[in-house]
Amino acid sequence: MLNLGWSLVWTIVNLIIFYFLMKHFLVGPILGILEKRKNLIAQELENAKAAQEKAEELKGHYEGALAGAKEESVQIIEAARADAKNESERMVKEANAEAAKIIENAKATAEQERKNALLGAKSEIAGLAVEAARKLLSEGSTEKGNSMLYDEFLAKAGDGNDTDIH
Amino acid sequence: MAVLTILSVILVRNLKVEKPGKIQLALESFIGFLNDFFVDTIGKDGKPYVPYLISVALYIGAANLIGLFGFKPPTKDLNVTAALALMSLVLIYYSGLRKKGPKRFLLGFAEPMPIIAPINIMEIAIRPVSLCMRLFGNVIGAFVIMELLKMLMPAVLPVPFSLYFDIFDGLIQTYVFVFLTSLFMKEQME
Repeated sequence: MLNLGWSLVWTIVNLIIFYFLMKHFLVGPILGILEKRKNLIAQELENAKAAQEKAEELKGHYEGALAGAKEESVQIIEAARADAKNESERMVKEANAEAAKIIENAKATAEQERKNALLGAKSEIAGLAVEAARKLLSEGSTEKGNSMLYDEFLAKAGDGNDTDIH
Repeated sequence: MAVLTILSVILVRNLKVEKPGKIQLALESFIGFLNDFFVDTIGKDGKPYVPYLISVALYIGAANLIGLFGFKPPTKDLNVTAALALMSLVLIYYSGLRKKGPKRFLLGFAEPMPIIAPINIMEIAIRPVSLCMRLFGNVIGAFVIMELLKMLMPAVLPVPFSLYFDIFDGLIQTYVFVFLTSLFMKEQME
């Protein structure tokens, strides 16, 4: 029982054959499958990571865009407000200027009117005086005549005929 | 061997990467367990040798368990265990030689110090003999005791002993054999 023989060699040969058979049919495929699955999982994890990173990036991008839009809207509102203020100020100024001009015009017109009236009154007075003088010269100077002339003058150049309204 | 090969061929036929079936899962966890065990023991450098170790584990395991069915375990023959041990021997020193190159391999016998080089050289012979004799002795002892028990009382008595000698002892011896082989290989490759 304790002697070694040729069967030792045959056992070795058989073992080697068995090893190749096992390697080819059992261990190889299964380890291959395990390896493949490992790779698959690693790849999926990688993909998930990449997708998440992309999402984060997009999120940052959008947030940036949103903040930019907000800022821009604030700027626009600010600008519009400033514009409106300028416009209203300008309009008020214009209106004031216009009003001042109108008042000025009115004043000037009134002044002119008054001057005209005065001028008219002066020439009338002058005419009356000339008339009175002629009448006096032609009729002779009498007490009665003088007083009548005076009355007539007053009646023509008096308050009732005053065209300058002040 | 033929049975194991045919079984492997049948079982391995429909392997898929996704959605494995129950048989595939069982097979995968079994081979994965063996693979992890050997990779743990032998280290990453020993990966090419793992399929051989798995094959030997299957072979010895099947040979030891075959006694359950009334066959004579092949490992009870000294020639078989000697063959296994010789192959382990070759593999152990081949792995060292391939990893380290001839010069460092030869110098490796003088480690950790030159004075124990004779012991290291004796180990070349001692290791396979101890592997071979341990397996052989355990299996022949179990076999003889089982035969005696069967002669004594063929029906009920052998059952608990069969559980111990055929299953427990057989698997332990399988484990010890492949574990020591991988351990020696790792040692050689360091």
